[in-house]
Amino acid sequence: MDKQTDFVLRTIEERSVKFVRLWFTDVAGTLKSVAIAPAEVEGAFSEGLGFDGSAIEGLARTYEADMLAMPDPSTFQILPWRGEIDPTARMFCDIQTPDGQPAAADPRNVLRRALSKASDMGFTFYIHPEIEFYLLKSSQLNEDGEPVPVDKAGYFDNVPGGTAHDFRRRAVQMLEQLGISVEFSHHEGGPGQNEIDLRYADALTMADNIMSFRTVIKEVAIEQGVYATFMPKPFTQHPGSGMHTHMSLFEGDTNAFFDAGGQYHLSKTARQFMAGILRHAPEITAVTNQYVNSYKRLWGGGEAPSFVCWGHNNRSALLRVPLYKPEKGNSSRIEYRAIDSAANPYLAYALILSAGLKGIEEGYELPAETEDNVWNLTDAERRAMGIQPLPQSLDHAIRKLEESELAAEVLGEEVFSYVLANKRREWSEYRSQVTPFELHQNLETL
Amino acid sequence: MAGLGLSELARYGFVELEGTVAKLDQLVAAVGDSGRSALAELGLSANPDQALNALLDLAEINRAEVKKLLGKPESAARLVRTLGASSAMVDLLRRRPEFLGVFQAKEAKLTTLQDLRRLFNAALEKPHGSVDERWVAIRLVYRQELLRLIAFDVTQFQAVEAFPVVARHLSDLATEAMDAGLQIARWELISSTDHGNYSEFEVNNTKLAVIAMGKCGARELNYISDVDVIYVAESGSAELEKERALEIATRLATRMMRAMDGTAPEPMLWQVDPNLRPEGKSGALVRTVDSHITYYERWAQNWEFQALLKARFAAGDAELAESYLSRIRPLVWAATTRDGFVEAAQKMRERVMEHIPESEVNRQIKLGPGGLRDIEFTVQLLQLVHGRTDVSVRVADTMSAIESLASGGYMSRSDAEIFFNDYKFLRSIEHRIQFSQMRRTHLMPESESQVRSIARGLNVRWTSDQLLTRWNEVKLEVRSLHQKVFYRPLLSAVAKLGDGAQLSSDQILDRLSAIGFDDPKSALTHIEALTRGLSRRAAIQKQLLPVLLEWFAKGSDPDAGLLAFRRLSEDLGESPWYLRMLRDSSGAAERMTQVLSTSKLATGLFERHPEAAAWFEDPADLKALSLGELRTEMNSIIERHDEVDKAAVSIRGIRRRETLRLAMGAVLGELTIDEIAQGLSDITESYLLALKDLTDDGTIDLGIVAMGRFGGAELGFGSDADLMFVYRPLESVDAQKTAERQISELRRLAADPVLEFEFDIDLRPEGKNGPIARSLESYAAYYAKWANTWEAQALLRARVIAGSEELVELFTELIDQYRYPSEVSPAAVIEIRRIKARVETERLPQGADPKRHLKLGRGSLSDVEWLVQLLQLMNGAKHPAIRTPKTLSALEACVAEGLIERHDAAVLEEAWKLSSRIRSAVVLWGSRRSDVLTTDRRQLEGMARILEYPRRSASQLEQDYLAFTRRSRMVFERLFYDV
Repeated sequence: MDKQTDFVLRTIEERSVKFVRLWFTDVAGTLKSVAIAPAEVEGAFSEGLGFDGSAIEGLARTYEADMLAMPDPSTFQILPWRGEIDPTARMFCDIQTPDGQPAAADPRNVLRRALSKASDMGFTFYIHPEIEFYLLKSSQLNEDGEPVPVDKAGYFDNVPGGTAHDFRRRAVQMLEQLGISVEFSHHEGGPGQNEIDLRYADALTMADNIMSFRTVIKEVAIEQGVYATFMPKPFTQHPGSGMHTHMSLFEGDTNAFFDAGGQYHLSKTARQFMAGILRHAPEITAVTNQYVNSYKRLWGGGEAPSFVCWGHNNRSALLRVPLYKPEKGNSSRIEYRAIDSAANPYLAYALILSAGLKGIEEGYELPAETEDNVWNLTDAERRAMGIQPLPQSLDHAIRKLEESELAAEVLGEEVFSYVLANKRREWSEYRSQVTPFELHQNLETL
Repeated sequence: MAGLGLSELARYGFVELEGTVAKLDQLVAAVGDSGRSALAELGLSANPDQALNALLDLAEINRAEVKKLLGKPESAARLVRTLGASSAMVDLLRRRPEFLGVFQAKEAKLTTLQDLRRLFNAALEKPHGSVDERWVAIRLVYRQELLRLIAFDVTQFQAVEAFPVVARHLSDLATEAMDAGLQIARWELISSTDHGNYSEFEVNNTKLAVIAMGKCGARELNYISDVDVIYVAESGSAELEKERALEIATRLATRMMRAMDGTAPEPMLWQVDPNLRPEGKSGALVRTVDSHITYYERWAQNWEFQALLKARFAAGDAELAESYLSRIRPLVWAATTRDGFVEAAQKMRERVMEHIPESEVNRQIKLGPGGLRDIEFTVQLLQLVHGRTDVSVRVADTMSAIESLASGGYMSRSDAEIFFNDYKFLRSIEHRIQFSQMRRTHLMPESESQVRSIARGLNVRWTSDQLLTRWNEVKLEVRSLHQKVFYRPLLSAVAKLGDGAQLSSDQILDRLSAIGFDDPKSALTHIEALTRGLSRRAAIQKQLLPVLLEWFAKGSDPDAGLLAFRRLSEDLGESPWYLRMLRDSSGAAERMTQVLSTSKLATGLFERHPEAAAWFEDPADLKALSLGELRTEMNSIIERHDEVDKAAVSIRGIRRRETLRLAMGAVLGELTIDEIAQGLSDITESYLLALKDLTDDGTIDLGIVAMGRFGGAELGFGSDADLMFVYRPLESVDAQKTAERQISELRRLAADPVLEFEFDIDLRPEGKNGPIARSLESYAAYYAKWANTWEAQALLRARVIAGSEELVELFTELIDQYRYPSEVSPAAVIEIRRIKARVETERLPQGADPKRHLKLGRGSLSDVEWLVQLLQLMNGAKHPAIRTPKTLSALEACVAEGLIERHDAAVLEEAWKLSSRIRSAVVLWGSRRSDVLTTDRRQLEGMARILEYPRRSASQLEQDYLAFTRRSRMVFERLFYDV
């Protein structure tokens, strides 16, 4: 039910929308889309759209094939890249079983469940992600077997007449047309690397926004004859693409992380929430960093958050407390830096939130702050300080996840075992590859 | 006042006696003789001490006025009783002594609606500066009228009878106050500049109607509670755009609410709660009529329609309100024809009950059992069921609804009267509790003195105990009325009951389908059959059926339950004990409905053994018979019969009967999983022993070895019995042939088409290729030569249940050396692990989901059992304590011997137990065996009920099973494969 239903049906008429795409996300985080004709929209609102769930990865192992996609009218938007010819709109869907229960394996439902737990505790969860991605000339590799970036600029560089500049302007414009507010956009550290920060929103809206964002970026790239990738680490020598996420909990209109008297103005709630995230970070990494390639970013040096620690303005920490702006109590927040641009945002945010809430529920103690750059410490020093590493490979992360009661509970048993099976498969396929590294290293000497 | 004894004061109702004489003197000194006559009035007030103290205080503030009031008997009565009943009013008068004028009137009279409106308008017409001043002005009018109302309420001859008038007046007071608040809001918007500057034209042309919902809508408001409202707005001019009008209306509505609850020098009145609106808290505060209608047509949930039953114009634009209401009403009644409407209403009520904190249940006047909500729920349910076809019951308030249901014949006059009186009584208590401190509460106070005031307020002669006793009677009455009023009339079309409402068959069908019967026509036929005739049975069933119907309706399959009951009843006919059981022992009847509507296995057996109905009476009858008892009964049958086949028939009968007993005990939660397992194993054991006796010709000594779950005495419903046979010749016969003949005869006699029985002999040496029986020597030779690890493992659960003592001893001795070997070679351990690993992939049926396989799946039975067996095999020789065929006992012993961590054992046990219980529940529910956890939600729900989960726990059961077995698998992998 939504106040926007009228608006949806009216807009379809007024703008002569030709197709409505129903969007949902599978467990792996891939966007799925079914197009329906405007005449079917009203029926889809009241009864949902039936489809064969077993065709979607991870969605329907146990339920019989029939599933229902229930469009959420508050997510209705005309897709800007279609222009005025054959206008096309989209809505996100919740997935239900035939008897009207939320489907256990719908990632959107996983996040909804976690949010409703937060709301039972009196909290609303707000997030704002900084999404990094690379612009490449195309998806083709050069003769060295490497991707080719569109430019060679660096952090914050203004590239005169550069593709990236136009690209970001066009992308921001489209995002705004989709109702997604952009905070900031700039050139990032690597050649062709860009970052766009989305303005904060509640977690469910934001997860939807991230899915839309990825589509927009891909569409604009096509429009401009380049290629955009969210791959966590496309270049060995350049930084990876993360999705640093700023988070805060609100109790009504008040920021529950803020306490004028606390260290860095952090409340007890914030400290416990942080402690929860830190304690559970290793076991949720297989979801926040879900690909083999994700670990190349996590362990690629630079400012990558490879170690479980927190700091104020410490750019190597996993959890960072950003500079506090006086007189803005509501801006108190923390930044989680492990998650990468290729994560399934619904599952990742559900887990991070639940880890934090667990810290609050159980009253975890926040360990001491780490002020040094953890990369400069020796292994022994880190051990002495009790600083654990995040998993160093997907395999390692899977093993942590396997033992996680938290993840099993938050994801639900169905999604949990699906994710594990899926990731085990990926790891075993990867393990059997002979890589260029080995060939370079060994072929001529052995 | 000289000469006044303390005991006399006590008689007047004072609690503080010592200081009171002095206080009375003080009063006389202050106001003269009228102070003396006040004593009689004090004696009639709810709390004389409080009233006296208040009089003294007020006399200090305005001596002349108090003196004047006490001089006039009517005024004195109203003043003193108000002061005694409400400390909140005492505070108000201290704060606003000018309100003493309220008591001057000759008689206690309520202000008419027109006068109320005039009073509020007059208050607003006075020149005011700020918004605050205006808020204060209308709040003072409200409070003065509230004071007048309480004065009226406390001086009524019959406190209880005043309730309807009082509730209506409170509702009017609230709507008039909101109307005045709305006027202030308009003035604010026009005159203020910081609201975005709306022109006078725009504000005046914004039409806004406040619709009262809930108790205010039904004109049965409490003294203090949230006032539920919904807002409707339109533009009143073509020159004002709708969006703009809605924006203005939203401001108006918000400011109106602040006029009621905002901070100002005079405290707030109450909260206005707009959350019943479309989309609740997240929806737009104000909508147009069209937008409301669209919402209700498309999105609204059942309870929202139920809420609309009470919608009424409250304040603002009356015409707009009418156009809204006239379009909403038809929707409300159309909605009640939706499927599951009544069930949804019942769910709502259950949720409310669940949310009452334990400590408050007994003090709850509104929500607790036998409380106001029970009456309101029954009445609304009847309205929903019958209002579909009968317009006359579509009324908003509870009192009128009871009246209309009685006139419509849906409720008998006498029941209606009881409802009426109980409702008024409970509401009167609630009112007194509320106005004593003007606090929003529905709880009987804890302190004795406060209860006493409430009691005296209702009847000056009552003590607190008398009030509580009467209240408990009312609670009991209300609880039984729901069943009486809703279910009893279901019989009226087919049985003349004398009392109760007479419904037509269509009306009955409405009710039956509303409570969950899929096929109400058949249900009606069953009811007819059950109540037909003049027999004692029919008479008793007439009495009992209403409550049985309610219980069936709560089960997972009401239609099947009622049908089974009819069959049972026809089988049992006039058996006196059956009728007595039904009539005298209501617990028994309820247990019976529970079994009939949740277990096909039990119901099926029940129809063959109707005499089992007697067991419902006494839970002790649902306990399993011991092995000894079973054997004695079966032996006596063998002795009585000469013919083998006839004896076998009787023995099969005992097995079915005892299985039924356990099934009933299991469904009703009388038996633990251990008791069920032991009971079923005992039945199987005695069954085999008896049949073996029947086939025994004395030429060989045949031993039966129980294996697998049977060996461990861990059978569930529907489990096969794993067996091996061993013999020793006694006479010179072809012993092998004799044994084989005896076993095949045993198999023939044991087969039972009604309650399947099969024995499985695949665990014998050489499996399917081996002979079905072997001599002791043959076993010895075989094991000496061939015994491999998996056979040794299978022997861990071997238990010899038949054969001569000597044979038992020799065989046990023989197998002990293999199952508890002094040393297990590393190769043997590897062998076991490999077999297990292979079994995991091979034995699982094609396409089965390992996560859901109860026996061979991830972390379920076989994982736990293999691990335990491995521990036994490796350590049995050194740790005799762990030598037992029972999985859980072995596990426990392993913990005690330090062979496994307690935590790990607990995880394994949890998974093993739940898997076992689910396997049994599958058979109990559907009478069919399955080793896979179903995905069918209805079946999951039925099984969850059998496993004593609360209603609607299908997903929870699934989640628990998957979680328990996942954890158990982790332990298993670590301990079994990694050792």
